[in-house]
Amino acid sequence: MALDAPQIQPLVEMKAIEKHFGGVEAVKSVSVDLYPGEVVGVLGHNGAGKSCLMRILSGAMMPNGGEIHVAGQKSDITSPHDARDLGIETIYQTLALADHLDAPANLFLGRELKTRFGNLDDRRMLREAQEVLRRLNPNFKNLGDPVSSLSGGQRQVIAIARAIYFDVKILIMDEPTAALGPSETAMVADLIRQLQSEGIGIFLVSHDMHDVFDLCDRVVVMNKGRNVGAFKIEDVTKDDVLSLIIKGELPDDWAPRNLETAR
Amino acid sequence: MGDLIAKARAQGRALSLSPEAFHKLSALVTLLILIFVFALSSPAFLSINNGLTVLLQTSVIGLLGIGMTMVIITGGIDLSVGSVLALSGTVTGLLVQAGVPVLPAMLAGIAVGALCGLVNGFVITKMRITPFVATLGMMLIARGIALQLTGAAPISRLGEAFGILGNGALFRIVEMRENGFPRVVFPGIPYPAILLLIVAIAAAYLLRRRQIGRHIYATGSNEEAARLSGVVVDRTKMIAYALSGALAGLSGMVLMSRLVTVQPNEGVMYELDAIAAAVIGGASLMGGVGNISGTMIGAFIIGILRNGLNMAGVSSFIQQIVIGVVVILAVYVDQLRSRR
Ligand SMILES: Nc1ncnc2c1ncn2[C@@H]1O[C@H](COP(=O)(O)OP(=O)(O)OP(=O)(O)O)[C@@H](O)[C@H]1O
Ligand SMILES: [Mg+2]
Repeated sequence: MALDAPQIQPLVEMKAIEKHFGGVEAVKSVSVDLYPGEVVGVLGHNGAGKSCLMRILSGAMMPNGGEIHVAGQKSDITSPHDARDLGIETIYQTLALADHLDAPANLFLGRELKTRFGNLDDRRMLREAQEVLRRLNPNFKNLGDPVSSLSGGQRQVIAIARAIYFDVKILIMDEPTAALGPSETAMVADLIRQLQSEGIGIFLVSHDMHDVFDLCDRVVVMNKGRNVGAFKIEDVTKDDVLSLIIKGELPDDWAPRNLETAR
Repeated sequence: MGDLIAKARAQGRALSLSPEAFHKLSALVTLLILIFVFALSSPAFLSINNGLTVLLQTSVIGLLGIGMTMVIITGGIDLSVGSVLALSGTVTGLLVQAGVPVLPAMLAGIAVGALCGLVNGFVITKMRITPFVATLGMMLIARGIALQLTGAAPISRLGEAFGILGNGALFRIVEMRENGFPRVVFPGIPYPAILLLIVAIAAAYLLRRRQIGRHIYATGSNEEAARLSGVVVDRTKMIAYALSGALAGLSGMVLMSRLVTVQPNEGVMYELDAIAAAVIGGASLMGGVGNISGTMIGAFIIGILRNGLNMAGVSSFIQQIVIGVVVILAVYVDQLRSRR
């Protein structure tokens, strides 16, 4: 849908991104873009390079080549700080939580709320954390505990809350629901739709075909570091996507799905 | 003994103590038991004068321990503090000898300590050398400079003003007796103890209430997560090592001032006492855990052990053995607690 209106400027354009580790080519000349209010699924087998591509956009990893444009401006993203300043928030696959700190401290890590005298405003951080966490999981109670003692799902909820609390324009979700139960997953799906309606662009890395077809407007498939296809979700079937993920190419007899139905 | 610990643990949980509070409580109980035992074995132990001696002895370990705690929380270690203490004292001594007033000379000595810490931080963060190796190098370098500057000879006759910090006391009451000799009514609170209290409060405030403190914990807890969250990890570590160096310099001032002599050989192995104090107080060498009040208890445990064993006539060799056992026990109890 966003694609039909070319006058809209893309939020993000990643052009010919390269990343290698010694001999391992993790990302090979990959280009992707993202429009406001769009959810783009990033798919691929394990080790395809999805996380690397996303980490490059979030400033956690420096690319060996390529350009990133954010809102039309060429941007040098050299640190997570730079990315945040551009409104790019990330839910990392590893969650990136400091285990010994509690939920509010993690939520505000690097952007702590302070009182007039520059002291940490723990009371306000706790209040705000309660509010945003309740949106995602009404049963979230043990806010004072170190996050190492929380369940995998609770930890994931903190990572998600951290990404949406601040003024986000571009959201990167690297397998955000991997540890979540069905009701929490549904809540994240609702959240994605809501953020989408607010005009936020979302990259969603996921292995769950059902979620992808449910939520995404487009899919980008990576195979061994290459972008092997970008499609509107209505043009492909789950089998097409699976074939791209596994073989790196479409089935031989492929034709866009919506054309097929039109015939 | 395992039994005992299990019971204590169950009680700790029943009282819904956090693990950290439980550790602190057990360290505090240990401290009280030590005081009790030493008081029984030697009546002079509980005298005011001996109390002040313990305070003085502990203040140096305490100051070093505070800096060490911050470094350990970042997941690092600072083996150089004993040598930096000597180098800072040497610089101050030379300056005083050259006619610089005591206060600026001492500030310069502390600055030298901070500089050593900054170099440590630089080597660790920019050259990517592990803290153990980097600060081991600094331990040799700082000691070498101190010995080279002085030709390994002590610097004495530094004047009365140089001794005030280490020997003076607040609220000291001295009465002139009729025979013309002064009598000390109340020996006062020694300046080093006051200094320790102020620094401890400031450090606890820094760690608990300021952003840099939060970042120190985050860095040690999960460095990658801290970096991804926008914490400038390198700067955080540099600050921690610089503070540790500055506090090593400060404790050098206290120690040398107390002796009114600068000894380039002073402070050997003090880093181990500082590490022991932090670890007894609950700091984890894995990073992310530790606090100032715990370290203070740890410093007093070591100080009182040394003092009490001394008064009981135990040789310094045996003292080392005892302290070694205490350190291992403290960490063992800590692990029992976290291994539930
Ligand atoms: N820091 C690193 N150092 C060396 N190699 C790396 C590093 N990070 C990733 N790689 C390599 O890059 C390739 C792509 O990894 P990446 O994490 O992007 O995969 P992924 O598509 O996210 O897989 P998954 O679905 O398992 O999360 C892999 O071969 C991996 O071994
Ligand atoms: Mg991944």
